[in-house]
Amino acid sequence: MPVLRGLIDVLTMKSDRPVRRLVAYYVIVAIVVALLTTFFPREITAIAAKGIGDVSEGPTVLADALSSPTASGTFALGSLLGVVITTVMILFGALVLMLPVTWVYMSARPSGGQHNQNVVQTLIFLPLVVAGIVFMVQNSLALAFSLAGVVGAVRFRTTLRDTRDLVYIFLSIVVGFAAGVQSLAVGAVVSIIFNFVLIVTWRYDYGRNMLMTGASAQWSRPLEALASPTGDHQIPDRDLLLSLTPEKANALADRFGRVSATMGKKKKARYNSVLTVMTDDVPEAQKRVEEVLNKVTKRWDLDEIVTNVGKPSEIYYLTRLRKSVPRDTLLTAIHEHAGEAIESATLEGGEPVEDGKDAQ
Amino acid sequence: MESPSRTGKTPSSAARGVRRVTFVVGLAALITGCREAPSARAASLKQVAATREEQLARRLAAAQTDSTKDPPVAMWIMPSELREISGLALTSRGTVLTHDDEIGKIYEIDPKAGIILKRFTLSGLPHGDFEAITIAGTDVYLLESNGKIFRFKEGADGAEVPYSKYDTHLGKECEFESMAFEADSARLVLVCKKVLMKGANHDLVIYRFPMPLTDSTRPTVITVPMSELAGANRWKSFHASDMNIDPVTGNYVIIASRQRAIAVVTPEGDVVRSGPIPAAADHNQAEGVAITKDNLLLISDEATHVPADLSVYPWRK
Repeated sequence: MPVLRGLIDVLTMKSDRPVRRLVAYYVIVAIVVALLTTFFPREITAIAAKGIGDVSEGPTVLADALSSPTASGTFALGSLLGVVITTVMILFGALVLMLPVTWVYMSARPSGGQHNQNVVQTLIFLPLVVAGIVFMVQNSLALAFSLAGVVGAVRFRTTLRDTRDLVYIFLSIVVGFAAGVQSLAVGAVVSIIFNFVLIVTWRYDYGRNMLMTGASAQWSRPLEALASPTGDHQIPDRDLLLSLTPEKANALADRFGRVSATMGKKKKARYNSVLTVMTDDVPEAQKRVEEVLNKVTKRWDLDEIVTNVGKPSEIYYLTRLRKSVPRDTLLTAIHEHAGEAIESATLEGGEPVEDGKDAQ
Repeated sequence: MESPSRTGKTPSSAARGVRRVTFVVGLAALITGCREAPSARAASLKQVAATREEQLARRLAAAQTDSTKDPPVAMWIMPSELREISGLALTSRGTVLTHDDEIGKIYEIDPKAGIILKRFTLSGLPHGDFEAITIAGTDVYLLESNGKIFRFKEGADGAEVPYSKYDTHLGKECEFESMAFEADSARLVLVCKKVLMKGANHDLVIYRFPMPLTDSTRPTVITVPMSELAGANRWKSFHASDMNIDPVTGNYVIIASRQRAIAVVTPEGDVVRSGPIPAAADHNQAEGVAITKDNLLLISDEATHVPADLSVYPWRK
């Protein structure tokens, strides 16, 4: 994921605009598919557009109804591996198509709306299950009826808060079906058009009452304030807090508590900013960043290291900047000195202090 | 200032990179390994063909010793793409051409080895109710049930071949499902499945078109009385679903799917014999028939509750 995010950042020049990021994602997927099609045309055609390539499949050994399957046993292992690879590829294909749908689902909410984490996860899982079912059932009426019987025995009684969530569920079923019948190309077209239509209607708040402010504006303002480089770091929208999971809220509360305790309640706090460093190589990053901090900050302390698996680890420092050193200079120095040892460095917090006045 | 080290060991980015590259290369190698090399595939196909032909010869020998039973000596299950298999046409190579019932897609099958050798389509993949196929020299003819005939050359595997169309103008008189080329007299023979004219009786009507087909071509017609065709059988009608020509005797071999019947008729219209097709109970929808030069009877069945198949029997004259 960091690699993908990095690629999207490069393509979009770090733009946060959803349409640009979506286009970048699909461009990357298209390039990967084009490469795969060059090297494995038969396999890709088999999962993306089965039926189109049927004409040139070459010789096919027919099953002999009179004898045991020994006659066609020559291909048994290859066929088994083929089925396994086809299954993995269609499931992976469904996943690749549904990822951007979940991003759109999470981002393009109506004003004041929160996304439902269960739905997000369902959007990922459902097409995989549907694809598996359809892949097994296709061309067999008997299996289809059996499946109807089995599914009929399982009752689904989930009430969705937002009826629009149902549309996403339907889309995930469509993508699952397309993957199952080995026509991922159809699923791709449907999901791509769905995503862009949804983003555009959300962006322009299609059908909105003209007296209301735009949904996208309501959504983006609090985030802009939160991420503002001017240092105005407040969370003006309670919905943003409410959208945090309990774990995230607890973690945030812990950090606030700890930072508050470290800074103290004096008029002039010991530290006035928090430096966050994202890295895949914690020891190296720690060494290099601390060398910079020693040079350019008035004082600093290591607050916390969060080691992650599968994504960059996080190092948090409490810092107090010298007044002569602007925040940008600190970040530039860190980036230059740490180089590739870090993924990113961000500084949140207050104003720098004048040299000498605050020295302790 | 001392900074505490509160972190566990994290793999370096280089190590991660190596692991990722290894994974991708491994995956590519796995996929590549599953693809058979063309030469290896050709060799294994030859091996399968040889084994199956040997097996067929053994079964034929066994069938000769016990001529009272008529089980098939081979039965090849068709893939889903050929679930609507229809007519059969014997090639000079001993293989058969067959086709899809609804689209202009032709398949070549080796009936002794049970291998689909190639597939090609008519240009633009025309849709229609295709019912019969036959070969006349270098031309292949495909018949629609309304009496329209598509003429084209045999194509290579995966090819798309151009075609021309000829209308017999018999679509209002007859529903067709059978066509064969009679090489001896250079005639295209079409058997009427069902006479559409009001008040028509159940006699078997056979049209014969002299080749080449032109706008001025007019067919000659022979009629085989139903009473002669039925003989000792209790058939009230005979809905011909395909016909072919016995390459040894030149007689017309006609099958009827609904009656599960087979009849042999001379070019003059005399019935040589008629009766149920071999293993009649197993043929739910026999749509194609062909006789090979080495005396094998081929019958193709469309898929019903069982998959489509091509059955091979010893041809007893």
